[in-house]
Amino acid sequence: MASVSFKNIEKSFGTTKVIHGIGFDIVDGEFVVLVGPSGCGKSTLLRMLAGLEEITGGTIAIDGRVVNDVESKDRDIAMVFQSYALYPHMTVADNMAFSLKLRKADAAMIAERVNRASKILNLDPYLKRFPRELSGGQRQRVAMGRAIVRDPKVFLFDEPLSNLDAKLRVAMRAEIKALHQRLKTTTVYVTHDQVEAMTMADRIVVMHDGRIEQIGTPLDLYDKPGNLFVAQFIGSPAMNVVNGTVRRATGRAHVEAAGAQWPLDGGPGADGQAVTYGIRPEHLTLAGSGGVPGEIIVVEPTGAETELLIKVGEEQVILRTHGRPHVNPDEKVHLTVDPANVHLFDRGTGARLTA
Amino acid sequence: MKKIVTEAKLLLIGIPVAIWTLLPIYNLFIFSISTKNEAFSGKLWPDHPTLRNFEIVFREEHHFLGHFWRQLGNSLVIAIAVGLLTLLVATTAAFAISRLKVRGGRVVLNCALLTYFIPAAFLAVPMYKAMGTYGLLNNQWSLILAMVTIASPYAIWVLKQASDKLPFELDEAARMDGASPMQLFRLVYLPLMAPSLVAVGTYALLLAWNEYLYAFLLLSSERDITLGVALGNFLAADDSPWELLMTTGLLYALPPAAIYYTFKRYMVGGLTAGAVKS
Repeated sequence: MASVSFKNIEKSFGTTKVIHGIGFDIVDGEFVVLVGPSGCGKSTLLRMLAGLEEITGGTIAIDGRVVNDVESKDRDIAMVFQSYALYPHMTVADNMAFSLKLRKADAAMIAERVNRASKILNLDPYLKRFPRELSGGQRQRVAMGRAIVRDPKVFLFDEPLSNLDAKLRVAMRAEIKALHQRLKTTTVYVTHDQVEAMTMADRIVVMHDGRIEQIGTPLDLYDKPGNLFVAQFIGSPAMNVVNGTVRRATGRAHVEAAGAQWPLDGGPGADGQAVTYGIRPEHLTLAGSGGVPGEIIVVEPTGAETELLIKVGEEQVILRTHGRPHVNPDEKVHLTVDPANVHLFDRGTGARLTA
Repeated sequence: MKKIVTEAKLLLIGIPVAIWTLLPIYNLFIFSISTKNEAFSGKLWPDHPTLRNFEIVFREEHHFLGHFWRQLGNSLVIAIAVGLLTLLVATTAAFAISRLKVRGGRVVLNCALLTYFIPAAFLAVPMYKAMGTYGLLNNQWSLILAMVTIASPYAIWVLKQASDKLPFELDEAARMDGASPMQLFRLVYLPLMAPSLVAVGTYALLLAWNEYLYAFLLLSSERDITLGVALGNFLAADDSPWELLMTTGLLYALPPAAIYYTFKRYMVGGLTAGAVKS
C-alpha cells in the first residue's frame, strides 16, 4: 500500500501538449477514479504512472519516492488493461504466475499466491483453461488475478469494463469495489463512464483537455460542481442548463431564460448578470399552475422512475420523478423549481457562482 | 440446380488444370518405372514396369549418380540451415522493428522491399565475386549465406506484418510483469508467432531446396553440390540416361511435397496473415 503524488505533470507528443501541469495527491488505500471524455489525457496520465509513457515535465512519486526514471517493473505497481492483455498461450494459472516466475519467486510461494487470488476471484475451476476458453467476465477476473498475485503497492485500471456488456459491467463494478474494500490497496482507475466513477470512487478527478476540472468525492461533485463542464459531465441524465440573465430589481428574484422566469433565492448572481442556470432533472417537479410553463415532448417510463422531456421556449429540459405522472406528449405543463437546488455558472468562464 | 451449375463450371476449369499440372509428374513417374528402351516408346503405361531404376539410384550404380546420397544430404543440410538462419535473422529483425520500435526500422523494411526490384539473376555474378573475396567458393556456407540473403527480406516483411497484429498491450503487460526484452521475445513473442514462423521457415527451406542458379555457380565439387545441380549435370552427356534422371527427379520432388503437405495449414494462414496490411 502506498500514497501517490503527481506534481505539475506535463506531457507532450512531439509538439502537441496533451497534459498541462497536473498535480494532486492520492492517500494510502484510496480508490481514485480519473474520469473525462476521450482525449482528456486520463489514460496518458495513468500510463505515465505505470511507466509505459515518458513524463515530459513534473514528477510522479510513489510512497515518497520519485519514479520518473524508474522502470515500470521496479515501480511495484500492477495494471489491468482494457483488452485484459492475457497471454493467449498460457493457462489461467500460468498467466497469474508469470510475473512471480520472472521474479524467480519459489514455487511454493507462487502456488500459494495464485491459489489465494483464484479463491478471491472464484477462478478455481478455470485454472487449467486458456484465455480463449473463458467468457469476457472471467477474462477480466484473470486480469485482476494477475494484478493481485503481485501484491503491489498500487493497482491501476485502464477502462477495464468497457469491453463487457452492460449487465456484466454492473456486476464487475461491484466486484472491483468489493475487492478494494477487502485488499485496501491504493487504486487508480480510469474510465470515461461517469456512473462507474460515481459508484466506485472514494474521490473523483474530472479531467478535460489535459487539465483537472475538479477533484472531490462523488457526492461533492454532484452537489457542488465547480464549473459547467463538471455539472454536465457528472450525473445521468445530465443537468439541465439554460442561458439567461439574473433579475433581482423587481418582484421575486429570477433568471430570465428561454422565455420563462426561473426562480432564484438570495444566493449569488447580481442583477443583470449573464449566467447559465442549472437544475438537475430530479429537482424539477410538475405543478398544476404557476412556475415555468412547458410542453411535454416525450414520456419515458422506466418503472422505478419516469423521465419527461419537456420543451420550454426554445430549450429542452428533462424532469425525473419517482411517481408515474399521467401526462401525454404535447400536453402543456408547469414546472416548479426549488431555488435551493439551483446552480448558477458564469456565462463567460463557466465557473460556479458562489455567494 | 444453381449449385450443380456452379460445380460443373468449377469442374470444367478444374479438370484441365489438374491434367495440365499432373501430366509432367505422370511423365516423370512413367519414365522412372520404364526400362531405358521403353522410356521413349510413347506408351501411357510401360509393358514391363520395373523398379530397377530406383535400385540403380539408391545403390549409386551409374557414374552420374556416384554421390547420390551425399548430394541428397547436401541439399537437406543446406535447406535446413537456410530455413533456420533465415528464421533467426527475420524473427529478431521483425521483433526489433515491430515490437521494440527501434529507430530506423521503417528504413530497413523499405530497403528489404526494395531488394525485390532486383532479380536474383542480376546478383548472381556479384555474389560469386563476393564469395570469392571471402574465400567461400566451393564451400557450402557460400550457398547457405547467399540463400539466407535472398530469403531474409521477404521473411522480415512477412513476420513484421504478422507481429504487428499481436496486441501491443501484451508487451506492456509483460513489461509491467517484469519481463526484459529478451524474456518478452522468448516467453511471449515466439510462442505467439509460431504459425508464422513455421510458414516463413518452410518458405526459406523450400527456396533453398529448389535453388539451381546459385548452387550451380557457388559449388563445383561433385561431393559438395546439391542434388538439384547434380540433376542438371545429367544433361552434360550426349546420351543422357533419361530414365535415371527422371527417377532422381521424382525422388528430389518428394521432400518438398511432404513438407508442404505437413505445414499446409500454416503456409496458407501464415503467409496470407502478413500479406495485406489491415
